[in-house]
Amino acid sequence: MSNKIIQWIDHRFPLTSFVKHELTAYPTPRNLSYWWNFGFLAGFVLVLQVVTGIFLAMHYKADIAMSFDSIQHIMRDVNYGWLLRFMHSTGASAFFLVIYIHMSRTLYYGSYRAPRELMWWTGQGLLLLLMATAFMGYLLPWGQMSYWGATVITNLFRATPFIGDQVVVWLRGDYTVGDATLTRFFALHYLFPFLIIGGVMVHLVALHTVKSSNPSGIDLADKDNIPFHPYFTSKDFYGLGIFLIVYCTFVFFFPNSLIEPANNIPANPMQTPNHIVPEWYFLPFYAILRSVPNLVGGVVAMGLSVMVFSFMPYLDRSQIPGGAHFRPWYRVMFYLFVVDMLVLGYIGYIPPTDSSIIVGQAATLVYFTLFILLPYISRREEQWLIRRGLPPEVQALIVSETREISKYPKRRRRGDTT
Amino acid sequence: MNKLIAIWMLFGLALPAWAGDEVKLEDIKLDTSMAAVERGADTLMNVCHGCHSLKYVRYRDLLTAGIDKKKVDTWRGDQALDTAMTGLLPDDTAMQMYGKIPPDLSLMTKAREGGTNYVYSYLIGYYITAEGAASNHVFPATRMPDMLGISGATDAAQRSEIQHKAQDVVSFLAWASDPHEEERRRLGFYVIAYLFVLTALLYVVKKQIWSRLKK
Ligand code: HEC
Repeated sequence: MSNKIIQWIDHRFPLTSFVKHELTAYPTPRNLSYWWNFGFLAGFVLVLQVVTGIFLAMHYKADIAMSFDSIQHIMRDVNYGWLLRFMHSTGASAFFLVIYIHMSRTLYYGSYRAPRELMWWTGQGLLLLLMATAFMGYLLPWGQMSYWGATVITNLFRATPFIGDQVVVWLRGDYTVGDATLTRFFALHYLFPFLIIGGVMVHLVALHTVKSSNPSGIDLADKDNIPFHPYFTSKDFYGLGIFLIVYCTFVFFFPNSLIEPANNIPANPMQTPNHIVPEWYFLPFYAILRSVPNLVGGVVAMGLSVMVFSFMPYLDRSQIPGGAHFRPWYRVMFYLFVVDMLVLGYIGYIPPTDSSIIVGQAATLVYFTLFILLPYISRREEQWLIRRGLPPEVQALIVSETREISKYPKRRRRGDTT
Repeated sequence: MNKLIAIWMLFGLALPAWAGDEVKLEDIKLDTSMAAVERGADTLMNVCHGCHSLKYVRYRDLLTAGIDKKKVDTWRGDQALDTAMTGLLPDDTAMQMYGKIPPDLSLMTKAREGGTNYVYSYLIGYYITAEGAASNHVFPATRMPDMLGISGATDAAQRSEIQHKAQDVVSFLAWASDPHEEERRRLGFYVIAYLFVLTALLYVVKKQIWSRLKK
């Protein structure tokens, strides 16, 4: 019976071949580490956010006179409303955590290099959409931090040449953040996740064209690729279990640790909180913004600090496979970058003092210097590594994989480049 | 270059020391038992509700939480059970008397840095300055009078009684700010336990499947 149905469908739609091509026979490098689980996790959190978000929207009111109260209504009166809300507010942090790890893996293993530039750039686009979605969602509870965060950030658009003031009014729909801002942010906060889903599709089509990168950094021959299902479905689900344990620990035991106390006070345009902080996932970029004493400069620096990732395929001039894995200099730069991000995050969190501003400026300098020096360092490192010879096991792997690939050229994977 | 980085990182480590210029708060162990919450509700209704509203809490919520029905009935008078615990002090009277409207207390323990510790420290933070004026350690310029009378209490027994009272009020406010907290934690234990079992099983499945691969 079910065979008949599937046959019927297959005549009209490539169901079986699609499942086979993209899942049950989709070739995946067998040496992927657990760092490769985070793409799947990001997809999972996306679904989680959309589902909890839709149910929250059934009870939420986008009206400055009612939104704060409607959140309390959700938290107190709606059946399991507290669970929906905490899943959603914790989910936002989880999303960024997963995405930042996913990006760090890409940076560490050099997965952004040819032929995967489009994956990296669609990923960059998704990051921007995610940031915009999170930023707009943060206004919705209409707490003090919502209001003042939105005020500070929309105000940055004053830096637009010539029409800065108009752009700010256009974004807010009013001269100050108000009801018009809240309703449009709500509309867009509902829309953007679906744009993200579209972007994810493109990201996945690109992935299935070029196939997954892997820790060795070289394209593996057929014998070292295994079907995605059941090997990586089982691995992804195990990873999901671990993720859910961490996530649920926050949802059920520390959900308030991710909500600023000031956001439990209704927005009050007459009273600025003594310390305006964005959510943790924006802190490093916020610190860069504050490190530049002038508005336009700060905005440009902040924009660049997010967009600079796009240039990685060009900045990294080394052909040595395996990213930081086999490249000691690049590895040092990678860890320096991570530490620098943490320092920036901390500086973004604390109220600015004379000394913290200096530390923030130094960290900003380090941030950009790392990217600027990368072309030079990566080329020098490549020359040095070639002179010194790659580690024997890498050399052996490259030789054996190329032999394998040239012996069975037909079985090469679509998207292989060499 | 490396040396400079090391110096910057040291700066980073030293920063918390400079950032901490706030008043030290008392550290209390929150008593979440219903008995404490009920004692806190008593004090709150007798001492604080005259000035402060708790607009997100309804009298019915007090019943649901397990507070004695007779008490709740006295507190609500002829108001319906589903009435919110709005304030009794009209805003303009409050402005006249204190120059400020006393804030709603429903979310108070979540709305301040330090949470329950802050509210407790605030309530027992009143003292008489050398000049004989009233002040507060954590909120020196506060317009709220010393309602629990800690600044006038000199002997140890009296002070400890007031401290207990303040703790109970904080227990009540913590409940009011998050009435589903206990349910959330209870459910959380089951969820986490379930996830541990599930994850262990998924691990076994993964191991099993991958063992079919020849090296
Ligand atoms: C006589 C009126 C009055 C009574 C009774 C009263 N308060 Fe207040 N309360 C105020 C006023 C006025 C403020 C505003 C203080 C300010 O911001 O300067 C305030 C503020 C507060 C705050 C917020 C402090 C802050 O950090 O902004 C808390 C917490 C508080 N009261 C708790 C209580 C509790 C608990 C009680 C009962 C034990 C109580 N109050 C009784 C008038 C009162």
